[in-house]
Amino acid sequence: MKFLSSIWRALFGDTMRAFGIVSGLLLIALAIAPAKDHFSEWHGYQNGYLSLIHDRSDAISLRRRFEPGIQQIWLPELGVVDRCATCHEGLKEASLADVKMQPFRKHPVIPHPLDRYGCVICHRGQGPATTVSEAHFSERAGEDPILPARFIESGCGQCHQNELTGTPQLNSGRKMLAQYGCVSCHLVKTPDGTTMKATDDPPSLEHLADKTTREWVFSWIKDPQAYAVSATMPNYKLSDADASDISAFLMSSSTPHAGDSDATMIALAKNADPSAGASLYGESFCATCHAVQNGAGNLVGGNVGPELTRVGNKVKPAWLQAWIENPHVYNSATMMPHYRFTPQQVATLTSYLMSKTDSDYGSNVHLDPATPAQIAHGKKLVAELGCAACHTINGVNKPDNFAPDLSRIGSKPLSQVVFLPGMQHALPAYIAGKIKDPQAFGPGLKMPQYTLTDTQRDGLTTALLSLGDRSQTMPEKLRVAGIHQTTYEPAGPAGKLMTDLDCFSCHRINGHGSDMAPDLTLEGSSVQRAWLDAFLKNPNTLRPALTRRMPRFNLSDADRKTLTDYIMVVYQSATIDPDKAPPAVNPPAMVEHGRQLFYSRYACQSCHIIDTKTDKGYIGPTLTQVGSRLTPAWIYAWLKNPQELRPGTMEPNQNISDEDARAMTAFLMTLKGSGKQEGKQ
Amino acid sequence: MPGKTDKILEQVEQSRVWRSIFRSGRGTSTLHRALAIQQNVFLHLFSTKVRKRMLSVSSTWYLGTLTLGTFMILIITGVLLMLYYHPSVPQAYADMKDLQFVVSSGLFLRNLHRWSAQAMVFLVFAHMFKVFYRGAYRAPREFNWVIGVVLLLITLLLSYTGYLLPWDQLAYWAITVGSNLSKAVPLVGSKIHFLMLGGNQVNANALLRFYVLHCLILPLAALLFIAVHFWRIRKDGGLYVHQSEPKRAGAVDESTLVKEAK
Amino acid sequence: MSDPKDFVAGVDSDQRRSPQRVVFVTRRTSAQVKANYEEQVQTYPEVLFRVVLAIEILAIVLVGMALLFNAPLEGIADPTHTPNPAKAPWYFLGLQELLHYFPPVVAGVLVPTMLIVSLVIIPYFNINIEAAGLFLHHRRRRLQIFYVTAIGLLVFLVAFHVYVAAVPSLIVAIAMIVAANSSPQSKSASCRYLSKKPMAWWVMTWFLFELIVLTAVGTFFRGPGWSWVLPWRS
Repeated sequence: MKFLSSIWRALFGDTMRAFGIVSGLLLIALAIAPAKDHFSEWHGYQNGYLSLIHDRSDAISLRRRFEPGIQQIWLPELGVVDRCATCHEGLKEASLADVKMQPFRKHPVIPHPLDRYGCVICHRGQGPATTVSEAHFSERAGEDPILPARFIESGCGQCHQNELTGTPQLNSGRKMLAQYGCVSCHLVKTPDGTTMKATDDPPSLEHLADKTTREWVFSWIKDPQAYAVSATMPNYKLSDADASDISAFLMSSSTPHAGDSDATMIALAKNADPSAGASLYGESFCATCHAVQNGAGNLVGGNVGPELTRVGNKVKPAWLQAWIENPHVYNSATMMPHYRFTPQQVATLTSYLMSKTDSDYGSNVHLDPATPAQIAHGKKLVAELGCAACHTINGVNKPDNFAPDLSRIGSKPLSQVVFLPGMQHALPAYIAGKIKDPQAFGPGLKMPQYTLTDTQRDGLTTALLSLGDRSQTMPEKLRVAGIHQTTYEPAGPAGKLMTDLDCFSCHRINGHGSDMAPDLTLEGSSVQRAWLDAFLKNPNTLRPALTRRMPRFNLSDADRKTLTDYIMVVYQSATIDPDKAPPAVNPPAMVEHGRQLFYSRYACQSCHIIDTKTDKGYIGPTLTQVGSRLTPAWIYAWLKNPQELRPGTMEPNQNISDEDARAMTAFLMTLKGSGKQEGKQ
Repeated sequence: MPGKTDKILEQVEQSRVWRSIFRSGRGTSTLHRALAIQQNVFLHLFSTKVRKRMLSVSSTWYLGTLTLGTFMILIITGVLLMLYYHPSVPQAYADMKDLQFVVSSGLFLRNLHRWSAQAMVFLVFAHMFKVFYRGAYRAPREFNWVIGVVLLLITLLLSYTGYLLPWDQLAYWAITVGSNLSKAVPLVGSKIHFLMLGGNQVNANALLRFYVLHCLILPLAALLFIAVHFWRIRKDGGLYVHQSEPKRAGAVDESTLVKEAK
Repeated sequence: MSDPKDFVAGVDSDQRRSPQRVVFVTRRTSAQVKANYEEQVQTYPEVLFRVVLAIEILAIVLVGMALLFNAPLEGIADPTHTPNPAKAPWYFLGLQELLHYFPPVVAGVLVPTMLIVSLVIIPYFNINIEAAGLFLHHRRRRLQIFYVTAIGLLVFLVAFHVYVAAVPSLIVAIAMIVAANSSPQSKSASCRYLSKKPMAWWVMTWFLFELIVLTAVGTFFRGPGWSWVLPWRS
């Protein structure tokens, strides 16, 4: 103690000495700050990088390209300052491909130069930061933690409103937003100002009682996936009483629809042969749109129309045959085409479909007749749950602003987000969690339970993450517009016919329609009249690898002529001039030259089949009879520049010279094939 | 060695340049030391002599001195910070990030400014209560107490205007909450609010206005009042001595006068 | 001062110790000049070095704080997203706490204005210059006034549910009751201490106590929706 006090006196006993010592201490304290700067995190990483490249064979060139100090990408128009490259020094070094250690890894090849858009636009994180924790994990307003790599495609979606071949997850997520009816309740405005529209085509419930029974409605709304595993209708987790009341209301609100029953056909159906029904189902390519669960539990067929595994439990036979005869009578907006079935065929198909039942399904459902109070309660529930957001229901209006706007969900501030206990504090986790189990966020929440796989959920999350402040405020010139449906409608009798056949359910013409089947905008320039007529009479698939097929509509000769004439005259390309095209018949030497070019120089057989015995290409359409299908003018123009005729086609533009294109056209025009060969495939 | 240094120092002090700058020469005599205070434009605000017992920490806790210390630190760090700051939206916030991540010792400067500002507000309050409990506000020091209250308000305004400058959520909403209070003033409330923010809500105009107040108007006002505050300490009879409190009204002036005369 | 004989002049003889000063005292006042030899030191160097020393120690403390603790910086200002709670700077949180109970015109205008005005006029009240204990004279009457004021204030605060301000007021009131029942001759040292305190002391102490409690509550114990939270549970 005495010793300490003597030290104290020695140091601070005299005012002047104390002044000197304290001044010294202050100077030392002031010197710590610059020292702290010198030993900052990023200096350490840069030193680490230098020692990493020290022993490599290309150390000299790597070191020459290494720039010490803070590295920055500045993009004023996007408001981006990225200093990631300060630590991530090896991003652009191709020779560091083998380095797995972060932060020195090389960036994978992407379609953009790295300096063009910086890092945070796609990866999120805090660009200006120069410490790991700040750059990667900041949760402040206007800053995000680094996006997990599996959602990285959301970055692409901020500029690209169109479908990209490199972003399957984003594409599927965007499709699901429309397909699963998300946008029926939620408002989603895409950055170009359009509102996303649902594509799931939910059925109108105005004439529900004609179509099905109250017992089925009860079972269905209790658990849609129990009826059809592929059902997109979500599960509202209704109690038995609520489901009973809702079914009672829906039945009582239903009005009868004219033309739904025809007694003579019911008689026909009773005598029909089920095996004939199965083959008619196959011949009509119903499976292109409708799926059926096979014995192994796998779905076989398309997902355009509803699954038919247990359709016999659902529909009333009278309704079904009226529907098969002409779906447009019951629902003028349906995507299902009007097949020209004979009454016998209708009966056969009806009896075949009615045999698709599951005796266990709904067997224990016994509903007592509903009281008016129950019906009124059912109506209240229907309004509360927002059923009318998707379905048309008599007496219930479509609700407005029923669910939160999701147009900027991808940049919802974390301070506004309520996380579940144990949930990772990040936006992707929140969005995915909300989709997975909405009720967990609060018993009063109305969002129903969807049945989705993890992949589907990631897709949806990716699509939602791409809808953020940045995508909404992206400069116009950086935005790649999406493809939007036009209001194109074909005119005249042919137009009426095309609407009746629902051509646009599969084909797109002038920007209107679906992308399931080829775009027919230039079909008149593309194909030969004779081939088109024959194809409409008896459609053969052009691409054997596809399961979707053009159905046979049993068109009358007059209808077919109307359609062929219209297509050949109206759907012409403005740039292809048939008069300047190479001739259809050419000297053999030229044909032979074209064959050699086809097989050796351009190796077209890797995707296309010409000789069914030797060629193995299944990616492009079979060309065995291309000479009788396509016009020489189209073939020539296609070889010269396929993307001009069909943007986004996989066919590569090989910059084929005029001469080579002519020779190959000459060769391809000789491939007339034979219908018999085609049928065998 | 020391002898040689002293010699050089002495030569410097004898030089014409030195003498033209420092009017009084060096010396240890009472006169020289008094002149060192009186002949200095800043120090002449203080008295040349102070009662010895006022040197002890317990009598004043040096609270006024420490407040002055924080103010000086704030001026130095503030001027340095001004070199990196743009009072515009959203550049102001980006400048905070630059200070934090790329400016050498930038974060240190901002931290020091921030903590000194908090310390100054605290010390001003502490100083006020200490002065009150010592009874040092009484005549003839009434007016110096009033100046002290003015300085308290200036300090609060300095801190408040500086609060907005980082332009982050904390700043924005603190100023929004605070400025909304002015709307409650009867009759002219919304006018005051508009005048204060240069608009109807906190935006770029408010930022510029607060910047000018924070960096120019309020510091100048503070300097002025601080000078008067110090000068009045001397004029009002030096630091107040608690134990020699006058016992009767009317005796105050005389005893003080006599003490001064000593 | 027209009559040159109307004053006496005194000169401090100790010229070496302090600068020479001249004092004039008029005859009419017949000043009772008390010799008061208070020991003095020179401002330079004694005081100046101590001042510099104090400021330097303060600077070391602040530099240390600046090195250890980073100033807060939230996300960029976003007028569309209000944080909950939106808090004013800490020195205004006492007012914000009052704003929770009273209309803005009271908590935001009336209270601060009254505070500033009363701070300004404090030194101009020349009553009780001897700083005699509040209850040492006119005990009965003062107690009556005290009870009326204290009960009135407490009822007012409780009526508005301002328990945050009522509790410190109650504690001060209890201390004043203790003071009223003590005298400078009391056995307990704290009772003797309290009994000697004048009214100004009580008012200022009450104000300081309220200031500390309200500011601390606003700073540490208020969360979303200005509800009660515990600072160590977050």
